[in-house]
Amino acid sequence: MKPSKASQRYRSIRRNTNQHYLYQDSLLLGNSDDSFNADETGDSNDPEQIFQNIQFQKDLMANIRCRPWTMGQKLRALRRAKQIVLKFEGRLTRTRGYQAAGAELWRKLARLACNFAVIFIPWEMRIKKIESHFGSGVASYFIFLRWLFGINIVLTVMTGAFIVIPELIAGQPFGSTVSKTIPQEQVMSAQDLDTIWSLGGYLQYSVLFYGYYGRERRIGRAGYRLPLAYFLVGMAVFAYSFIILLKKMAKNSRTSLASASNENYTFCWRVFCAWDYLIGNPEAAESKTAAIVNSIREAILEEQEKKKSKNMAVTICLRIIANILVLLSLAGSIYLIYFVVDRSQKLEQSKKELTLWEKNEVSVVVSLVTMLAPSAFDLIAALEMYHPRTTLRFQLARVLVLYLGNLYSLIIALLDKVNSMNTEEGATKNTTSHWIDPPTFFATRTAPEGGQWPTPGSGMGLRRNSTSTWVLGETSILTSTMPYTKANKTVLYTQGPQGQCWETYVGQEMLKLSVIDMLFTVASILLIDFFRGLFVRYLSDYWCWDLESKFPEYGEFKIAENVLHLVYNQGMIWMGAFFSPCLPAFNVLKLIGLMYLRSWAVLTCNVPHQQVFRASRSNNFYLAMLLFMLFLCMLPTIFAIVHYKPSLNCGPFSGQEKIYDIVSETIENDLPAWFHSVVGHISSPVVILPAVLLLFMLIYYLQSIARSLKLSNQQLRMQIQNARSEDKKKVAQMVEGKFIFKMQILATCSEVTFKALPLSAARIQTHEESTKRLPKDSDLLSQLSSVHMVTAQNNGNVVNFDSLSNNSIRLETVTKSLPQSPGQRHRAPCSPLPGESRSRPEEDINRYPHDPSASTGSLQKNRSCTSVTQIQSINHVRSEPLSRKDFQPISRLLHEPGVSALMTHGHRPHAPRHYIVNEHASRKKTHPIFWPERHFKIDALGEVVELYPRNVRQYKSWAPHQPRCPQLSEEEDMLRRDFVQWPVAPRSLTDLPQAFYVDDRSESDTRGPELQPRIYYKSGDDGFEDQFNRPPFVHKKPCSRNVQYPQHPLKPRVKAKFEPSFTESDSVSAASSSDQQNSSTDQHLQVMPRQGKFPRSAGQLGRRKAKSRQALPADLNDLVCSNV
Amino acid sequence: MRLFYRYQDLAPQLVPLDYTSCPDVKVPYELIGTMPELKDNPFRQRIAQVFSQDGDGHMTLDNFLDMFSVMSEMAPRDLKAYYAFKIYDFNDDNYICAWDLEQTVTRLTRGELSAEEVSLVCEKVLDEADSDHDGRLSLEDFQSMILRSPDFLSTFHIRI
Repeated sequence: MKPSKASQRYRSIRRNTNQHYLYQDSLLLGNSDDSFNADETGDSNDPEQIFQNIQFQKDLMANIRCRPWTMGQKLRALRRAKQIVLKFEGRLTRTRGYQAAGAELWRKLARLACNFAVIFIPWEMRIKKIESHFGSGVASYFIFLRWLFGINIVLTVMTGAFIVIPELIAGQPFGSTVSKTIPQEQVMSAQDLDTIWSLGGYLQYSVLFYGYYGRERRIGRAGYRLPLAYFLVGMAVFAYSFIILLKKMAKNSRTSLASASNENYTFCWRVFCAWDYLIGNPEAAESKTAAIVNSIREAILEEQEKKKSKNMAVTICLRIIANILVLLSLAGSIYLIYFVVDRSQKLEQSKKELTLWEKNEVSVVVSLVTMLAPSAFDLIAALEMYHPRTTLRFQLARVLVLYLGNLYSLIIALLDKVNSMNTEEGATKNTTSHWIDPPTFFATRTAPEGGQWPTPGSGMGLRRNSTSTWVLGETSILTSTMPYTKANKTVLYTQGPQGQCWETYVGQEMLKLSVIDMLFTVASILLIDFFRGLFVRYLSDYWCWDLESKFPEYGEFKIAENVLHLVYNQGMIWMGAFFSPCLPAFNVLKLIGLMYLRSWAVLTCNVPHQQVFRASRSNNFYLAMLLFMLFLCMLPTIFAIVHYKPSLNCGPFSGQEKIYDIVSETIENDLPAWFHSVVGHISSPVVILPAVLLLFMLIYYLQSIARSLKLSNQQLRMQIQNARSEDKKKVAQMVEGKFIFKMQILATCSEVTFKALPLSAARIQTHEESTKRLPKDSDLLSQLSSVHMVTAQNNGNVVNFDSLSNNSIRLETVTKSLPQSPGQRHRAPCSPLPGESRSRPEEDINRYPHDPSASTGSLQKNRSCTSVTQIQSINHVRSEPLSRKDFQPISRLLHEPGVSALMTHGHRPHAPRHYIVNEHASRKKTHPIFWPERHFKIDALGEVVELYPRNVRQYKSWAPHQPRCPQLSEEEDMLRRDFVQWPVAPRSLTDLPQAFYVDDRSESDTRGPELQPRIYYKSGDDGFEDQFNRPPFVHKKPCSRNVQYPQHPLKPRVKAKFEPSFTESDSVSAASSSDQQNSSTDQHLQVMPRQGKFPRSAGQLGRRKAKSRQALPADLNDLVCSNV
Repeated sequence: MRLFYRYQDLAPQLVPLDYTSCPDVKVPYELIGTMPELKDNPFRQRIAQVFSQDGDGHMTLDNFLDMFSVMSEMAPRDLKAYYAFKIYDFNDDNYICAWDLEQTVTRLTRGELSAEEVSLVCEKVLDEADSDHDGRLSLEDFQSMILRSPDFLSTFHIRI
């Protein structure tokens, strides 16, 4: 492999790895480049190593999807890894290769099968389409619907396979027994529409209902125990529903990862998780935006409300009123249902012919109530002025209570009706009842008494008939216990013998309710959604107000209400499933229809609900409601099963005292004796009581374990947080501490003033940066700290320094040696990472000399530690070697990324990723950064050493902006004194930089266009240097500055400022004029990136961020200006 | 993947059918942004920029595939979190600072919130998620925050 390519690859891999540190879950990433390198260097012969390599590559292949690389990189890496694996694997074993091939084939097949299976997921495409239009909230409704559909399918299969089909195949055929034939007086009307409509006639005597099933203990040749099966399936329906619900809930809660535990991220979630990326519909997007705005506003309000104590008297009153209203309406609806059932009962008694309305009164009223009451609750909820989510919760709870109340009141009313009819009719009928022997009952079931209750064909009549008969039967038995026990013969009242069973009646009611509910749903979808949509869409042009946005609007898809409706519907199914085995099957049909209708309606004429209903969490919410519903619906059924005696002459359990007797009977008769005894023992209190106790103990134990786990979880989280914050603190200290903190101590007094005046502060900073340089240097000189000399010499710059020191400008040498020491160290190690680690201690070393310098120059309290200055000064030190030391261009190029890496590493050393990421940026960044530095340097040297008058004037010119002018002048005095003390020859000093810059220029020219700006700075500075040397220009410079200061950092202005400087420098140094012209544009370009980039690094120190922000532009401006 | 090919062909007409012969074709952002999946997304520009090679929003097929593989339902959540972070990091400095947040909020709300509200929200967000109190969100902060969110996985994907 060619070296260039290899290095390129190496680089890309580096980038990957560095990115990968970000990515916590990436596996084995640290050594990925090692391995790549290893196999690049050649194939080693160590089989162990090869094996590891292969393993690693396989890991890579397996996890490649989880890595945040670009696709090209992924493909390349994958291809390469595969290649390596293939190449080396052959060497190890051949069978492994076959295995791999087989596995590959299998995977492909599995994938194909997976893709194929997706086709068969019902409504997948439809749901996805809805999801992509309306977001995941709406889709969750349909997914829930589909899941319910699945459950109902299973229930249907269970009942169908174990009850309905055996009965149809092996049971006695229609008309063969009394419970399977239609009474003669009803045959005529059995096919009438209204009979069918009210589920009478043929429907009543069909497998739809409980009454049809025979009571034979075994049917068919195989001896299928239908009654037992019926009972067991009835129970299995509940058991299955419970299990599947709990399983689903557990799964959901596992995926949601106990996220609801801490709610302290509300704002974050509202911002970052608010947008549903699935939305691809402008209307949905609009409403989503509105919803987000609402939610954010709410959050703000909430936050504000938290702070202030609120006077809630009115609201509380309103809420009380609202709750009373809701309770009233609940009570009203319950009473209404009860009343309707009662009325229908009375109507049956008084009238013989019932109208269609009267027959369906009950279910229609129930459906109406379920339809209208939620909207009423909605209106009431507006009174309460709760938070919208609370409102939603209240609303859901109320609606749920309403639904439950409806179902319960219905079933209670039905049972009550049964009871009441029992007493009153029993009294009347007892006189006319006659007793028949059980054997003869079956023989003489020719319905002689059918005419006694002429209820021709109407469902209501039948129902009444059946109930009354059942009641009568029961009462007769109850009242005739004496003959029953004495004569030891079963007596039956055979009045209206066919299909008169309360189970069928209940089943009929439930089925009817379900049908009516379906019709109402369809009607409401059509009316409320579709026609409203049509109306709004087509009439809005001719209406006096905007229909689409004001009153009628488009129908909203209220997810919560719709889901509740589904839950309610499912509750009905569970409630009725025992009495009407085909109810699940019917529900399957209903759900299919609902699915299509709803999805069509949603897609055509609905807009999503405004309120955000949490999609994933709500899933479990739905399920919880469903579970609740299931439990509550199971209760009446179980109650009926346990408490009521089954009908005597219909259904599989006829003739038994209780329905569940079938189980004990089977155990007694059909199973071996030992089993019977075992069951007997188990069901004895000796076993049951300890078992219950054990269960309680187990529950308590598990609960306590869960509690302790939660506690430990919390502690772990705390620990993590602590560790992280400590880590960061440590890092921050390492970076800033040694440097900044000492500065801060010095600067504390001045900080206050600077906070007040950030703008002027920035200016002072930039300037005093330059002035500070001098005291530092001078201080170092005074100390003549050998350390720096030594370090510098160690770095191999001895020649350089010697030549300089020959000129006896010690000031210069020291300033140089100081910054060079880090630079040299950086250069020495080629790879930046070790360079970083090694250079940090040096940085510290370098800091120490700085500190005393700062302390001597403690007049410069303007080290007010805004992050800008810190970073700048760091940059100064780093970039100084760049600008100053221009001996080795190549090494500088190497060095440059190193510097940038250091800069970023300095702040977060434990995160190496910054290095490569910022490489580009740092390129840009370093230029502008050492350019100001350069300026300071030169400025400082030029100003202080040579031009006292200029310096003074400059400060004076700043006076209006600086309140701290006297201090500065003091400082200057200090400086002056310092310089007086040092026998510095200005002449030679100025010579020196010139020599430097000549050198610079020649070298930088060779460096290529990329570094042009740098040339400019140097040359520009050079020019200034020249200026400073000549008195006439010295005066011009402050002038131009004065002009510039009041202005603010706008690009055009900066540009304008450059113009005069060009002319100046042109006049002075003609040599650099062309360079300047070129680079002036460059400078412009770079001013902008810097502006953009600087806040980033500045922002690292967050608390002072705002301050530094403010300071930054001014600072920048200053730098630009002063450079000019 | 074949589907993606088709979409690549659907979205811009200037992509040749034989893709392998010229793999460097780029689809301009204007076309990417008008895809029905993206056209209503307030962050579409950011998405395109994050996934495009040089941050200009013009995408090659590889980038395109990348985008949808990250946005697919099967992508692991850490990957999603990583890219979500990049999307919300408007100035590409690997931190979500207040300015990024302002951008995010204004785009989310289409500028319907007032400036004070926006700044308040930004402050609050930083307050909540910034575990090391450096005034901006690092990737770790972001991940720990977003992975705890109940909705993130369900909302942060695009379906085509």
